[in-house]
Amino acid sequence: MPVIAFILLGSVVLLPVVALWALRWAAAAGQFRCPDKAALLPFDESEPVGVETDCILGGNRR
Amino acid sequence: MIQQSQTLRALLPGDAGAEGAQKTALAEIDASCRVPVLFFFISGLAWLLAGTVLALVASIKLHTPGFLAGWEWLTFSNVRTAHLNTVIYGFASQISVGVSIWLMCRLCRIPLPAPGLVTVANLFYNLGVTVGVGGILLGDSTAIEWLEMPRYATPILFFSYALIAVWTIVTFRLRAERHLYVSQWYLLAAVLWFPWLYGTAQVMLLIEPVRGVVQAAVNWWFAHNVLGLWFTPIGLASIYYFIPKVIGRPIHSYYLSVLGFWSLALFYNWNGMHHLVGGPLPAWMITISIVASVMMLIPVITVAINHHFTMVGHFGKMRHSPTLRFIVFGAFSYTLASLQGVASALRSVSEVTHFTHHTVAHAHLGMYAFFTMVMFGAMYYILPRITQREWPSNGLISLHFWGVALGIILYVVPMSLMGFIQGTKLNDPTIRFLDVVQFTLPWLKLRTLAGLLLAAGHAAFVVNVGWLLVRMFEPYRKPVVRILTGEAETLAAGKQP
Repeated sequence: MPVIAFILLGSVVLLPVVALWALRWAAAAGQFRCPDKAALLPFDESEPVGVETDCILGGNRR
Repeated sequence: MIQQSQTLRALLPGDAGAEGAQKTALAEIDASCRVPVLFFFISGLAWLLAGTVLALVASIKLHTPGFLAGWEWLTFSNVRTAHLNTVIYGFASQISVGVSIWLMCRLCRIPLPAPGLVTVANLFYNLGVTVGVGGILLGDSTAIEWLEMPRYATPILFFSYALIAVWTIVTFRLRAERHLYVSQWYLLAAVLWFPWLYGTAQVMLLIEPVRGVVQAAVNWWFAHNVLGLWFTPIGLASIYYFIPKVIGRPIHSYYLSVLGFWSLALFYNWNGMHHLVGGPLPAWMITISIVASVMMLIPVITVAINHHFTMVGHFGKMRHSPTLRFIVFGAFSYTLASLQGVASALRSVSEVTHFTHHTVAHAHLGMYAFFTMVMFGAMYYILPRITQREWPSNGLISLHFWGVALGIILYVVPMSLMGFIQGTKLNDPTIRFLDVVQFTLPWLKLRTLAGLLLAAGHAAFVVNVGWLLVRMFEPYRKPVVRILTGEAETLAAGKQP
């Protein structure tokens, strides 16, 4: 029973606390401030916006 | 703008300036991931083949019960359970981890720290799955849905999984890029949610079991959340990364993607109990689950809108990109599976579809048409980069796509329809149960045919991956051959008078 109580307590208290902490950290760290910047994160100088990176079928391969 | 042979272009440093430095950095990241990610992919695909064979045997047994009836370890219950566990824990989870490691390193912009440790975790994980599936086939199943592996396999799995989760967090902590992309939110959440789900379910169902119907509640809380809080976040993380990356266009609305993540985190956890409609649970528990299931429309619609508007004007690119083909198929299936799930959660629908093949079709729509297709797409993108080789055969890529796409359509559509009719007949007291079983037989044969198409697709993919690996090891093989040949020549020369 103590193990179950520990797990239930963890689920009910710990997880929401962690979720709230993550949300607060994200807001404080400016993670929601620059959506345009965040949306560009998969890209870089070698694979910038506007460049396809997986075109290998249909006879277009050189 | 289209860059040709671009799968490898980013890996080949040589240009001066920022672009060259960036290519070098990407090449370093890919090289650091090579061994562990390849281990996860190769072992995952081996389990996929095993799971496919088990699925075919189970499917044939449903309409031809005498098939392999002389082998007691291949009874339907053993084979079906072994199939589920090989594809969930052996295939899907391992491919998920491989894709997650690569994505996390790419988005954190750092090489994988201590890749050897992750490789060791992979070896332990495979040991755990082998022991677990072997135990199931020997009759040691726990008979708890999605947690059938015997208790002696669980600690090995948990240990290796914990190692992987800790290492994902370490990679995240060491990141060079401080701003987070939405895929990282999903990946981090998934690696934290899974041990919580798995640990809680293990304790409450196997180590110190709760009593009565609470077991069913915990069981379905776990089984449903494995889909929604482990596989779904990794699938969505991959979609959010690969669609923009392949077509070269940022996601349509970043705000919408963040809203989708937090609403999934808020609502999905409550969904599991809708599997127990009609069961002996307090009605409010089931009602809350149904409400939360309907609330899932928020993340599903935000994701669907975001993916669709990102793709608008770029659908033609699916002809040239295997990654995009699989990922867009998977993204579309995610919307369909989620809408079907919302409908199935309603009491009026569940009363008909529960205990029918409709549920099986829904599970395959989510786990295969959505998740597995996205993972295939991700592997088509990642493997050439970490092996520094192009895909050897475009024909095999096409065979793979059309085999699995047609196979899963032929599986899901008839089975969903048949399940609905089956449920209507089961609810009619004037129809004999045996007549309902007879009605399902032709549909079940169609399901075996669909399974054969899926198997053909899997075989094509595995052959292509094997071929790719042979090409990767070619430079290592040739010097060995030269050395051996040279030695042979020297020996031959020595023997000459």
